[in-house]
Amino acid sequence: MTPKERVMNTLEKKEVDRVPVFSGMGNVTVAGMQKYGIDFASSHANAEQMATLACSTYELFGFECAVVPFDLCVEAEALGCEVNFYAGKQNILYPTIKSKILKVGEELQVPENLLERGRIPLVKEAISLCKEKLNGEVAVGSYILGPFTLAGQILDLNDLLKSSFKKPNDVKALLSQLVEPLVDIANAFHEAGADYITVREMGAPSDVISPRMFKMLVQPYLKETIAGIKAPTILHMCGDTNMLVEMLYECGANAISVEQKNDVAATRQKLGEEAVILGNLDAYGVIVKGTPEEVEQSVKQAIEAGVDGVMPGCDIWPEVPEDNMHALIKAVEKYGAKS
Amino acid sequence: MTEDKKQLLEEIRKAVIEFDEDRVKELANKWIELGYDANEAIFEGLAAGMEVVGDLFAKNEYFVPEVLMCADALYAGLDILRPHIKAEDKTETKGVVVIGTVEGDVHDIGKNLVKLMFEVAGFEVHDLGKDVPLEKFVEEQLKTDADLVCLSAMMTTTMPGMKKVIEMLRERNPNVKIMIGGAPVSEKTVEMYGADATGKDAASALEEAIKMVASLREMKRKKEI
Ligand code: B12
Repeated sequence: MTPKERVMNTLEKKEVDRVPVFSGMGNVTVAGMQKYGIDFASSHANAEQMATLACSTYELFGFECAVVPFDLCVEAEALGCEVNFYAGKQNILYPTIKSKILKVGEELQVPENLLERGRIPLVKEAISLCKEKLNGEVAVGSYILGPFTLAGQILDLNDLLKSSFKKPNDVKALLSQLVEPLVDIANAFHEAGADYITVREMGAPSDVISPRMFKMLVQPYLKETIAGIKAPTILHMCGDTNMLVEMLYECGANAISVEQKNDVAATRQKLGEEAVILGNLDAYGVIVKGTPEEVEQSVKQAIEAGVDGVMPGCDIWPEVPEDNMHALIKAVEKYGAKS
Repeated sequence: MTEDKKQLLEEIRKAVIEFDEDRVKELANKWIELGYDANEAIFEGLAAGMEVVGDLFAKNEYFVPEVLMCADALYAGLDILRPHIKAEDKTETKGVVVIGTVEGDVHDIGKNLVKLMFEVAGFEVHDLGKDVPLEKFVEEQLKTDADLVCLSAMMTTTMPGMKKVIEMLRERNPNVKIMIGGAPVSEKTVEMYGADATGKDAASALEEAIKMVASLREMKRKKEI
């Protein structure tokens, strides 16, 4: 079975020879940057570099996907936000939004040529390049934000959080307006060659908002977004998701993906055998900071708890030690085989 | 304390907890009209209410938006009460704090909660926001003569920025107290970076801060004598 078949079959709940090890989020490593002499800050604005780095994690370690882009600013940028790429900084800093463009209650103007704006054409090109480089052997993924998280990027987060209480109808109006642009972007990435699309709603875990608010303000628009995407989808959420998993499942994505704060065995019990659950390795505490033995133990635990695919809980952290990446893949091969 | 006063304080607490901004304003005005001590309403009404909010947050009954709303109710009360604080109570702020999330990091939800706790407790807080250039912390500390600098980082790539700030601060002002925090920060980080303390949440951050500022002031006092 090729890595791509393994990943796509998992998402479609079809048979696989073993659990895949891949991600719906960024997977660039310092090892890849060094091998190709590409620096992180410049890769966000260069399709060739972006694709090269994304594919290098498969080449170097056998991690079974290539995912672009690496930051969370693409949609907000296309909608008109300015982005800081930290050009010239030596340490690895992830791009951030410099200026907010909207206040709650104001009308969002979605530019007509949205799909030609910002780095959307560049990400599409990077996706096609990944496709070429990987020759159909390895799955190519891309991602969009969920509507609530995108709202947090284009307007002041405190304003958004308080308005969620004080003016829920204004917030709902905004979120509902964000669905269509997000769906269009996701489908453009799919047409460019992305085999699967992850929807990252990391701004809405129970570390931040209540399950009640999630149900009222987040879930309806996630459902709508996911329903509009033509590719197989993964719904990913960082942070504490134990109280949310049923609602996440109801959103209708092919799979849900969670981080280490999720008790996967309990989630499996709640959702049943049909659900595709991905996760839940600690992207920093274990994959970066742990020993190779700890990485192996973590993989074993995740598989025993019932994940269908082994996935880091968030972007792979670029500084991951090479030995840990090798240990990660080896452990999945060892414990993930389906007899 | 008269029954009326007690009941009014209880109502102020409740209005903060229920994030009823209008009610807090109404009660604060009533308090002033009755000629009671503003400081008492701030600490035993507003701040005491906020303490309960902190507990509700820790117990997962309240979440970040609820806490922010309670904070707004509290600030509305403070705006009314502060001008009436007696002169002799004014001089004693608990301490001056500079706080911010370090360069390259936009995670500021946790930092905002820590800041809130400091304000409630009576510190003078200078918030530099998020994605703050490292030198800015040093400049602001010198400008405000802050007792305490609080650095927040939620990512391991931005954490080393805290170490640089600490080095720069120590060079300019060896006495200043430095606290660091955020999900990846541990006691070990404190040691490695040469900070003074950390706190796993906003309440423990405040507890540590009060201890440190007290010892700092004690030291200054001894020097003066
Ligand atoms: C919400 C969130 C976001 C929001 C942030 C919105 C905002 N304005 O803050 C958004 C969606 C924008 C976001 C973006 C990103 N995120 Co993010 N995010 C989170 C998430 C889910 C929750 C964080 C949070 O707010 N928690 C709630 C608050 C209340 O808790 P807290 O922050 O821990 O604060 C408490 C304590 O730490 C302490 N404290 C905090 N500061 C201080 C300071 C002092 C002095 C003291 C004493 C105490 C203290 O007290 C606080 C109150 O109790 C975490 C997941 C997690 N497991 O934490 C990831 C997480 C922090 N994000 C992560 C990542 C990777 C990113 C991105 C880089 C993704 C990307 N590809 O671009 C970007 C960052 C871009 C950038 N350059 O900054 C990773 C970081 C991994 C790592 N190795 O470090 C995490 C850990 C997710 C994960 N599972 O791996 N994120």
